[in-house]
This record gives sequence, structure tokens and C-alpha cells, in this order.
Amino acid sequence: MNNIWKSAKLDFSLVKPYVKTICLIMILPIVFAAVNRSLLTGISFAMCLIAKTTGYTFSITEKNSMERLYGILPIRKSDMVIGRYIFMIIMGFAALIFSLVAHPILLTILGETISIFDCMNAASIGIFLFALYTVFQLPGYYKLGSIKGRVFLYIPVAGFLITLLPITQIPVGESKLLFTVINSPALLMLLAVIFVIVMYVISILVSIKILKNKEV
Amino acid sequence: MKLIISNISGIPIYEQIKQQVKSAIMSGDLQKDETLPSLRTLAKELKISVLTVTRAYTELEQEGFVKNIQGRGCFVLGQGSELLREQLICKIENNLSEAISAARVANLSEEELHHLLSILMEEKTDE
Amino acid sequence: MNNYLEVRNLSKSFESFQLRDITFSLPKGYIMGLIGPNGSGKTTTIKLILNMLKRTSGEVKILGFDNITNEQEAKRNLGVVFDSNYFSDEWKISQVEKSVSSFYENWDTQKFSETLKRFHIQPSKRVKELSKGMQMKLMLACAFSYDAKLLILDEPTSGLDPVSRDELLNILSEYIEDGEHSVLFSTHITGDLERAADYITYISYGELFFSGGKDEFIDRFRIVKGGCEELSADLGKKMIGIRNFSTGFEALVKTEDLKQFAHLNVEPATIDDIVVFTSKRGEQYE
Repeated sequence: MNNIWKSAKLDFSLVKPYVKTICLIMILPIVFAAVNRSLLTGISFAMCLIAKTTGYTFSITEKNSMERLYGILPIRKSDMVIGRYIFMIIMGFAALIFSLVAHPILLTILGETISIFDCMNAASIGIFLFALYTVFQLPGYYKLGSIKGRVFLYIPVAGFLITLLPITQIPVGESKLLFTVINSPALLMLLAVIFVIVMYVISILVSIKILKNKEV
Repeated sequence: MKLIISNISGIPIYEQIKQQVKSAIMSGDLQKDETLPSLRTLAKELKISVLTVTRAYTELEQEGFVKNIQGRGCFVLGQGSELLREQLICKIENNLSEAISAARVANLSEEELHHLLSILMEEKTDE
Repeated sequence: MNNYLEVRNLSKSFESFQLRDITFSLPKGYIMGLIGPNGSGKTTTIKLILNMLKRTSGEVKILGFDNITNEQEAKRNLGVVFDSNYFSDEWKISQVEKSVSSFYENWDTQKFSETLKRFHIQPSKRVKELSKGMQMKLMLACAFSYDAKLLILDEPTSGLDPVSRDELLNILSEYIEDGEHSVLFSTHITGDLERAADYITYISYGELFFSGGKDEFIDRFRIVKGGCEELSADLGKKMIGIRNFSTGFEALVKTEDLKQFAHLNVEPATIDDIVVFTSKRGEQYE
């Protein structure tokens, strides 16, 4: 078992006592989906919420001054950071799968028709949102701690607003490139995947750098 | 062997250990070829520094009371040991030469010094 | 490898405090006390050793490994005890083992449960339910379970009752008994060290005052006491620290200067005396 995995496991044991709370939180998006009668809204909301729970590892560590434990373990700082990203991504996936089962069932009961395509669509957007939140969130937590680090959550939100406005202004028909991209789901998907991977790599590198220079 | 440490006697702990080991040897409490308690065990039990016990044992060895054999322990050489005898003779010589220099300062003749020694010897045997 | 810990010319600059040029080494098989008043740099030194603070300059070797370039190897055989525990409050003791053990290849589960038993810690308890003394023992139990060769304790006795402090000293003396383990122990309660420590490293105002054998350290100084009229300006100059009171004075002097004080009442100094009197001097000069 390598150190990254051990480190992810340690993170899990930190959060373990709070798993019930997190499960309860995940009920909220179901209600949201039901009220809005929309799978996409529900899943997006679920992924935003689970992205917020990544703060648990940081706040528990701070509350118990556990940076001292991390400071004495025979493990590289980079492994600690990657372990935490892995743990967080696993949490995200768990939440996604749970939501992808729970939301369609409820919506079907309520009389909506949910196709596989709808599910895939919602899942892709959910993953994208989750990635977008967390790539900013984690370096923020590493840099500023679990309380002040929360402001980094608003970077993607602000980013949305700023990018959405100009995008709607661009006449789609005039840009051939944009037109092809938007009309080819496969290409759009591929671009999104590359974008997510690149963002994570940068985010992890930034977090490692922050942790290496951190004094506790 | 009894070994106790006093914190208020003002005598350094290593000196206390040395004195008690010596008197145990002199009184026959510690026989020839018996081993002293292991250095580290003694330190642990008396809750004192290992270095303190090391110093006591090393000095005891230098003075010819015990012999330290690496890995086997510290063995008592016994009262009759050659080394111990030599050590004692050396000590006598030192003390006597000190007495001689003092006698010179006090202008005491050799005969008077001998006389003084015999008186002291008699007093000792009386005890 | 004879020295389990080597610290060479270690320095660290903060805005308001500087640790300057600290050098000492701890041989295998011994206990070293790291002493000094609060704020003198003991914890800074320990955090630099653990690479939790970035040193400005100098070198640290733990069990022969550089603490930065070979951090993992250095920490594999290192146990650390802080004044409060570093586990999650919500963990049960059994969870502590689960969380920490995987990081150490030679973790001995049986040894852990035996040590807990010896320390009277119930595995079903939660960390937050343990007393301060118990928390310290839990950290020790972990270190013993992977047979840490070097144990670093940062103010472990502050806030402990005399019984727990005595227990700790017993545990430590036993730990080094086999000659294969060493302890670095920072404390301002010097009574803890008076007997059990082999070496003393004394840091005062961020600078190394002394590092060497404890007996030698204590033997370097004496306390002299006398009446007010016995104190002259010449004698005063030779004193490291002095406390005057209405009926007389007591002062710390170097043993080598003792001849000049022969007419006074001379007593051996305790570690506390030395720290108290030398720190007073520092205050006057700064």
C-alpha cells in the first residue's frame, strides 16, 4: 500500500465520524431536484454541496492541531496532498453515484421521464462543476485554513458570471470553431476532460508548493 | 548489595555509588568475581543518569576495585587483588610524601616523623 | 552511527525572535534535557528538527539522515510527544492505531495492545475522554509500537501531576535501558531532569548556553551565600547572577572562581538555580 493511498485512508478516518452528517446533507439536493422537477439542477446542487464538504478534513485537522501528526509521519508532503485530492475525488464520486440513483428514482415516481442521456448529461456537468469548485477550494484551504479558505469557493462562481456574459454575447454562427465544438458533444466532452485534468494537475502542484512552505 | 542515593547529602551521586560499592567490597558483602548490577539497569532503578553510573564504575575500575568486561558486566576484583593493592600503595605513597613535605615546612626531623607515625598506628590498633 | 541526533549551526530568523547557531548532538542510548525559560527557543529548535519550521541555515541529522532531503527515512524511526495529543478527538483508541499504524512498516499490534494495558488505557475509549497524562502515554504507546529509536518530547510534563511525571521518567529510563534508544526532552520543569538526564542542552534567548554532560553542567557552577557586608564590588563582578535581600545575598558563580568566594557559604547549584540566575543576567544586559 503506497503512501498516497495511506494518506487518503487517514483522511477518511478523519471524516468517518461525520459520515452521517454528510449523508444527511446529500438529502437536500434530492428535495431540490423534486421541487424543480429537474435532474440537472439536483445533480449540480449535490456536487456543489459535496465539494463544500472537502473542508471537513481541513477543519478537523485544525481543530485537533493535527498538522503536528502530519508533521511527524514518515511520508512526503506531496503524497499527503495527492492523498487528500484522491480522497476528495472518491467522496465526489460516491456522492455522484448516490445522486444518480436517488434522483432519477424520485423524479420517475413524481412522473418525470428521465432518459439515460439525461443522466449522462447531468453526470458530466456535475463532475465538471465539482472539479471546478475543488481545484480552487483545496489550495485555498491549504493556504488560508478551513475558515478563511472558504472564500476560494467564490472564485469559480465569480468566474462563471464573468465568462458567461461574454459567451452569450458571441454570435455562435460567426465563429466556425466555436460552432463545431458546441455541436459535437464528443469534442465538448473531450475538451472538458482535458480541461479538468489540467486544472487538477495545476491545483495539486500549487497545493504541494503551499504545504511545503507552510510553517506550523 | 545495598545501594541508596541521598539527594540532600551534597555528595555527588557517582561518589555515593563509589563509596557504597567500595565499602561493600571491604566488608566482604561483595565477593570476588561477583558482578555489580548492570550499569543501565542500575541507572533505571535508581532513576539516575546512565553517565553518572558510568563514571562511578569507570573510576572504580581505575582504582582497581572492579574489572569491566565488555558485554559481560562489571566484576569485583576482591580485596586481595594485585591492582587494588598497587592502588592502595600508590595512595599511601602520595599521602606520605605529602606528610613529608608538611614535616619539612614544620621543621620536623625524620625521627619525630617516625615517632608520630608509630603513635598514630598505635591509636588505630586501639580502635 | 553513534549520534542519534546531530544539530549543527542551526539558525532561524523570525521578525521578533532569532534562534542563532545552535549546535549539539545526542549519542545513542542516552537522555538529553533541552532546557531554557519559556520563549528561549526550545520549541522552535524541536520544530526545526522535525522540519515543521523552515530553517534559515544549519543542518540536522536524525539517525544519520538529513531531516529535509531524507525526511521520510529520518522520521521512520522517530517518535514525538507534544504537550497535547495530535489525534482526532473523535477517534477511539483502536481507531488511532488503524489510522497511524499503516505508515510504519514495523508496527507491532501486539506491542501496542500490551503497552496500552500497561498504561491502563482502554482501547474502547475516545481520545477526548483521556486525561492529559493518558494522552501523553498514548503518544508514547504509538512510538513504542514501531520501536522508534529516537524519542523527542516537547514539554511533555507541563500540566501533568507529580505522579504522571514520575511515571514518565520511569518509562523513559526503561526505554533507554537497552542502550539502543535515545530521548530528547524539552522542559522548563528542570526537577524532572535533575536525576534522569545524561546530557543537558541549555538554550537562552535563542542562543546555545551549554551542551554537554549534566553532571559537568551542574559542576561548573556553585551557589554562594553571605551577608550584605561580605559583598564587595570586585566579588560582584565575578558573579553570574545575584539575588539581594535585606539580610544577605545569594549568587551563582563559576566553580573555577570559587577560591575567591572561599569565605562564603558554598553550596552545589541545581539546574533550576543555573537557569534562573543566568536568565536574570540576560535580562539586565538586553
